[in-house]
Amino acid sequence: MIRSLGADLVAISPELPDNTLTMAEKHAIPIDILSDAMSEVMKKYRLWFAVPGEVKELYLQKFGLNLEKYNGAGRWELPVPATYVLDRGGIVRAGEADPDYTVRMEPAEIVAAIRKIAEKRSM
Amino acid sequence: MSLKETLAEFDASRKRPPEVVAIIRRGIDYARESGAAGLRIGERAPDFALPNQRGEMVRLSDRLSRGPVVLNFYRGVW
Repeated sequence: MIRSLGADLVAISPELPDNTLTMAEKHAIPIDILSDAMSEVMKKYRLWFAVPGEVKELYLQKFGLNLEKYNGAGRWELPVPATYVLDRGGIVRAGEADPDYTVRMEPAEIVAAIRKIAEKRSM
Repeated sequence: MSLKETLAEFDASRKRPPEVVAIIRRGIDYARESGAAGLRIGERAPDFALPNQRGEMVRLSDRLSRGPVVLNFYRGVW
């Protein structure tokens, strides 16, 4: 839907490149999944935070989740989940960043923002 | 049903113990208070170049020269 409107979808996570996928599988993924392994982009976008100690313990002990396995040694750090719709000039036209990771920007809002950018361009 | 409603329903269905929910809540508050508020509407998104899943470098400004871009920051595949 996003691509049919002429927009590109780019996903970014702190994870190291995924070694569990085959090259064929990697080619089959229609969007770019970028690896911010040095946390530089999360920081530039003011989304970076260090996972607090008690959450780290909860992940390790109750959820059996070791972030270092995904992010690399010593990297108990995450981005605030966020979505930004950028026009061709790179200006943020719509977006949402919420530390509550169960809240996400509505897909319909993303599509509406892209349509608005396209309308402006054709005027 | 909207995505927000679907996610809220899923979260409620997990029935986590109150002490676990409390730690998660405090973690969310911590991230909120850390000042990680992200970009503002109308601000220019900083340019960057990062490798994609195939090891190819992707530069934001290159993508923008082709059209609008939807950027999604997510925590990971776990």
